[in-house]
Amino acid sequence: MYFCLDSVVMVACSVGEQHFLKGGIAQELRTDGRKRLTYRRTYVETGVIPQANGSARVRIGGTDVIASVKAEIGRPSSLQPDKGKVAVFVDCSPTAEPTFGGRGGEELSSELALALQRCLLGGTSGAGAGINLSSLLIQEGKVCWDLYIDGLVISSDGNLLDALSAAIKAALTNTAIPKVQVSAEVADDEQPEIDISDEEYRQFDTSSVPIIVTLTKVGNHYIVDATEEEESQMSSAMSISVNRAGHICGLTKRGGSGLDPSVILDMISVAKHVSETLMNKLDSKIAAAEACEDES
Amino acid sequence: MEYINPEGLRLDGRRFNEMRQIVAEVGVVSKADGSAVFEMGNTKVIAAVYGPREIQNKSQQKNGHALVLCEYSMAHFSTGDRRRQKNDRRSTELSLVIRQTMEACILTELLPHSQIDIFLQVLQADGGTRSACINAATLALADAGIPMRDLAVSCSAGYLNSTPLLDLNYVEDSAGGADVTVGILPKLDKVTLLQMDAKLPMETFETVFALASEGCKAIAERVREVLQENTKQLEYRRAA
Repeated sequence: MYFCLDSVVMVACSVGEQHFLKGGIAQELRTDGRKRLTYRRTYVETGVIPQANGSARVRIGGTDVIASVKAEIGRPSSLQPDKGKVAVFVDCSPTAEPTFGGRGGEELSSELALALQRCLLGGTSGAGAGINLSSLLIQEGKVCWDLYIDGLVISSDGNLLDALSAAIKAALTNTAIPKVQVSAEVADDEQPEIDISDEEYRQFDTSSVPIIVTLTKVGNHYIVDATEEEESQMSSAMSISVNRAGHICGLTKRGGSGLDPSVILDMISVAKHVSETLMNKLDSKIAAAEACEDES
Repeated sequence: MEYINPEGLRLDGRRFNEMRQIVAEVGVVSKADGSAVFEMGNTKVIAAVYGPREIQNKSQQKNGHALVLCEYSMAHFSTGDRRRQKNDRRSTELSLVIRQTMEACILTELLPHSQIDIFLQVLQADGGTRSACINAATLALADAGIPMRDLAVSCSAGYLNSTPLLDLNYVEDSAGGADVTVGILPKLDKVTLLQMDAKLPMETFETVFALASEGCKAIAERVREVLQENTKQLEYRRAA
């Protein structure tokens, strides 16, 4: 599957700057001093949007994104009456980039939303989804939870997919779905009465929610967590979604330049290796953020 | 419904002339030339300013003055029920209103042939969004170093249960009473924005307007404090 993210804004780079960037990456010393597989300082905050069921804000270097999860009562689709529904939307705010104003950010927003949807929700049958859709069911064929996951990009300095997937994971961990009482059995074609509890909530199980690791190929080497400057010099990039068990949950290749299949396999194994440390770090940051939020 | 009880306490425990808690911070979007986040109670807005920069659309150029553009957008999760419309009429109206307010306050004749973009992103909406936007925009413009005549600040006030109330939240705003939004330039003591919906007798209007102006003056104090604190931080970092 090939996608071209042409809507990435080009940062003006002189020839000298380009050489410096590529040379630095080749020598394991990027412009901000990082090694090729090091992430920037990451901050995670949960519960930033009180009126949503769950929310989180993630800052990776200069990239700042907010994800919110809202649960609404809905009807399961007739094709899958035993599952709830999840929809992912992304909005690129013009505060991140003046070109996102008006309808400018729509292309990038839909590309990001589709990539995230692909990684979180598995195939059309719902099999292999990172989120257990059956846990969203209230009554088969009649009532289920519809989860709306909204991502908002406030500031963009590269690596948007990784930041968004981390924010979604944190927001899902923060999500509390109210307990629902279904009234007595009703006839097949009627909607049952439901009573949504204000007091009791259950936490969402996010142990199998994957995160995305984007590997950007600049010259002959791959880097992780590219800044906007580095992304403007990339030949291609692969976003790989990995879950805790080390399974690949989704793949997106961007950029026009072709990749040798052996290179792709190598990138996947590098991504798996990076994702282990990233997953642990992210989980501990999310736990710390939740604890912080509980205290306040 | 009782919006202010006999003891003088509103639904959230405030008195009639008390504003919600204000939290303001400058420099939140690293890429923008100037940015700020402004919270009034549960209403939270981020403003980002890009400019002065080269005019993107030569046809919009104004002779000898900078071009000020403003865009207001609300996040999908900002209101209680998820919104889906991005470019609805309210957003267009608010973009226009805020642009006019800020344009009156920026010294546009000092920056000809340039463009100043103000982007406002509402993260949480709980009444008083246009006031929060104007206050956030003022902070962001100051952070960007754009020359201004004065600090434009804004506050709203309403009239419920025969009492003027300062700084309405969403519940009070939807009660159906009048809602007066005032924007002033405090040092010059001039009104730049005045909007009202519903109807009020003339004397009551004067009281409510006076209350909103008092609120604006309090916000101006706070905005000035935030900017001075920010300058001290910059000075400290430069000297270190």
